[in-house]
Amino acid sequence: MSAGVGIWRCRKCGIGYFPERLLCSRCHGHDFIPDRVDEGVVEEITVIRHVLGQTDWQPRRLANVRTVNGPRITVGLRDESGPGAVVELFEEGNAPFGAAKSAP
Amino acid sequence: MSMNAAIIGVGQSAYVRRPQSGQSTHTFIRDAVVAALQDAEIDGSEIQGMAVTSFSLAPDSAVDLAWRLGLSLRWLLQDTNGGSSAMNMLGHALRGVETGAASPILVVAGDATGLGGYAKIAANYNIATREHLAPLGHGGPNGVYSLVTTRQMNKYGLTKSDYGHMAIAQRAWAAKNPFAVYREPLTMEEYLAAPMVADPLTRYDCVPVVAGAQAIIIAHPDRCPRGRAPVQVRAIRNSFNYDNQEGDGLQTGISTFADELWQSAGARPADIDVASIYDDYPAMVLAQLNDLGMIPDHDLAAFARREIGERRVPINTWGGMMSAGQPGGPAGGLNGISEAVLQLQHRAGERQVKGARRAVTTGYGMTMYRYGGTAAAAILERME
Repeated sequence: MSAGVGIWRCRKCGIGYFPERLLCSRCHGHDFIPDRVDEGVVEEITVIRHVLGQTDWQPRRLANVRTVNGPRITVGLRDESGPGAVVELFEEGNAPFGAAKSAP
Repeated sequence: MSMNAAIIGVGQSAYVRRPQSGQSTHTFIRDAVVAALQDAEIDGSEIQGMAVTSFSLAPDSAVDLAWRLGLSLRWLLQDTNGGSSAMNMLGHALRGVETGAASPILVVAGDATGLGGYAKIAANYNIATREHLAPLGHGGPNGVYSLVTTRQMNKYGLTKSDYGHMAIAQRAWAAKNPFAVYREPLTMEEYLAAPMVADPLTRYDCVPVVAGAQAIIIAHPDRCPRGRAPVQVRAIRNSFNYDNQEGDGLQTGISTFADELWQSAGARPADIDVASIYDDYPAMVLAQLNDLGMIPDHDLAAFARREIGERRVPINTWGGMMSAGQPGGPAGGLNGISEAVLQLQHRAGERQVKGARRAVTTGYGMTMYRYGGTAAAAILERME
């Protein structure tokens, strides 16, 4: 697990992307700088309760998260955070996850 | 508008929830092709062009299918745009006939993935899905559109029962379609009590995966069997990756061309007698209708309760994919076109909309990350 979620920021115009792009959709620049977003605000959540072909599925929470100065990202939620909550973001492999921001 | 090209025949295979031994994508496609050729009164040796789309044709491709079907062609297309593939192929085929490249052209779509095969396709739909969504356990498109549906409910003040009106109305249409896999009546109580799949989507919001195929034939209107009206496409438009996945998904690519579509067709939303709206999820039916300008004042809730709930507008008169079944998105899109043709030719049997002259058909699909990236719409008209 690594803190934050890796995004790709256009070197020319500064727009951040997730997932990775080949050209910037705004300026069509091709040079991207790796960046990270550490937190976001939960906008919508869902609970995946049934998946085709799975017989012993355990429900999983997903959220659409708006990052600060970055893109909207679909994350796996590791706690009961709801809409409006600020969550810390982290990665497992290439997959983004979030959980309530811990107290300072 | 295509003056020298029209849809002259349609055909479909059986739809089944679970393909049996000996049934495959290829055999379902064959059955649909045979039915379409018979319907159009055309011999296979006359076919000069073919367009095909399928999630489960591989490792075969379009030319392999032509070989297996014994078709020697001079025009061939394989489309990969999911739920809008059928509309895309229709446009290419019309232009192919119109320009003299080939005629007649067979347009076919089918899938027989089985439930396990579908789950694998859903988890590996594209690189973004495979790397960033599937590891979350997103459950395929259900997970994506559960979030879109919540956004739509919040923005437009929709309730769960508003979507139920659509599922119930389409089930009533499906009762009159012998090919539909679910034909028994559905009540609001049953809809609301259905098991949750991905909040807020319940069982009846999620299209049932089936095996099956559809085919249509495009040719000069003169080739239409005697005593039957050919169906002309007055206008057709497509959109691909319209907003780079940077919006909220509540508008589709149809919003980019709707005005131009109506203007080109010389028609208005009020002129439409029948609508085939790609129904992978109820929320996306409302989104497409809204983009088409068919929902007054963009009041989605009122439209769902009144126009759909009280059956004032014939939408998805074959039952839609939600009740008839989704044989892969591509064939589901083609079923909507076929149904519009049957309605405009006044051959829809018990579900015939009296005096239908004009129809709108749409396609929507390719869930790239947060929502679908392809969309298309056409205005079809009965040629008198």
